Amino acid sequence: MAKGETLGEFEHLILLAVLRLKTDAYGMRVRREIAGRTGRDVTIGAVYATLDRLEEKGLLTAKLSGPTPERGGRAKKSFTLTGAGVEAVNRSRRELESMLEGLRFPLPEGRR
Amino acid sequence: MTPPLLARLLLLAFAAESEFEFVAGDLLEEFHILCRSHGRANARRWYWSQVIRSSAALTSLRMRHGDMAHVAAAAGFGVAVPLLLLDRLWTFVYSLIPLKEGLDRAPGFLAANIVCAAILAAACGATSRSFRRAAAIAVTVTAAAAFSTWESLGATPFLYVCSLLTAAPAGALLGYRSKGKLS
Repeated sequence: MAKGETLGEFEHLILLAVLRLKTDAYGMRVRREIAGRTGRDVTIGAVYATLDRLEEKGLLTAKLSGPTPERGGRAKKSFTLTGAGVEAVNRSRRELESMLEGLRFPLPEGRR
Repeated sequence: MTPPLLARLLLLAFAAESEFEFVAGDLLEEFHILCRSHGRANARRWYWSQVIRSSAALTSLRMRHGDMAHVAAAAGFGVAVPLLLLDRLWTFVYSLIPLKEGLDRAPGFLAANIVCAAILAAACGATSRSFRRAAAIAVTVTAAAAFSTWESLGATPFLYVCSLLTAAPAGALLGYRSKGKLS
C-alpha cells in the first residue's frame, strides 16, 4: 500500500463522523459529532483542511446545498463517502482489529 | 445576534475564497446554537477561539488551493523582480554618464520605474478573480515595491519612494476594476 493511502487518526475520525451523519455531514455537524463523541475540542479549520484532503484523495465527495437564513444566507458543503472511502474505513478497521487481537483491555497503568 | 466583527474580518483574511462561505456559515450556525444554550458572551468567546485556532489550518488550506501562491507570485515575479532589474539597469546606464552619480539626478529613469511598477501591478491585479484577492495583491505589491527600493533608499528621492508605494497598490486595484468593466 502506498504511503498516501493510509489514513491518519484524525482522517479516520472524520470519515467515521461523515459515515454516522449520513446525508447531513457538513463542517459544523462533523465538528460537533467528533467533539461530542471523543470530547476533543476540534476546530472548524482543522475539520475543513482534513475534509479537503480526503476529498482530494477521492475518499469523500462534496455536494453544495442552497443558502439558509440561520447560516446568514451562506451555502453548505455536505460530504458523503465514496466507494474508496468505504473501502479505506473497512481496511482501517481490519488493521486495527488485527493489531488488537489477543490484547486485554484496559491495560494496567504504567505498563510498557 | 452577530459574531464579533473583528473575528469575522480575521476569518475573511485567513480563509481561502473557495472555503470562506462554508466555514463562515458553519461558524455562524453554531454561534446561534451556542447563544441559545450558553449565552452570548460564551458564544462570542467560542467564536474568537475557533477563528484564532483555525488560522493555521485555514492558511495551509489556502496555500494548497493556490490562493497564496498566486498573491506571492504576482507580487514577487510580477513587480519586485522587474523593479529590481530596472533599478540595476538604470544604475548601470547612469554609471556610464560622466560627472553624474546617483539616481536622484535621473528623474526620467525614476519616472519610468514608477510607470513600469504601476503597469506591472495593474497586470497582476487584473489576474485576480475577486476584490479580496486584488486587495491582497495590492498589499503584497506595496511590500514588494518597498523591498525592491530598500537598497537604493539613501540614493533615491523621498518623493520617488512615496510615488512608487502609491502607484503599485493603486495599479493593482485599478487593474482589477478595469478588468471587471471590460468583461
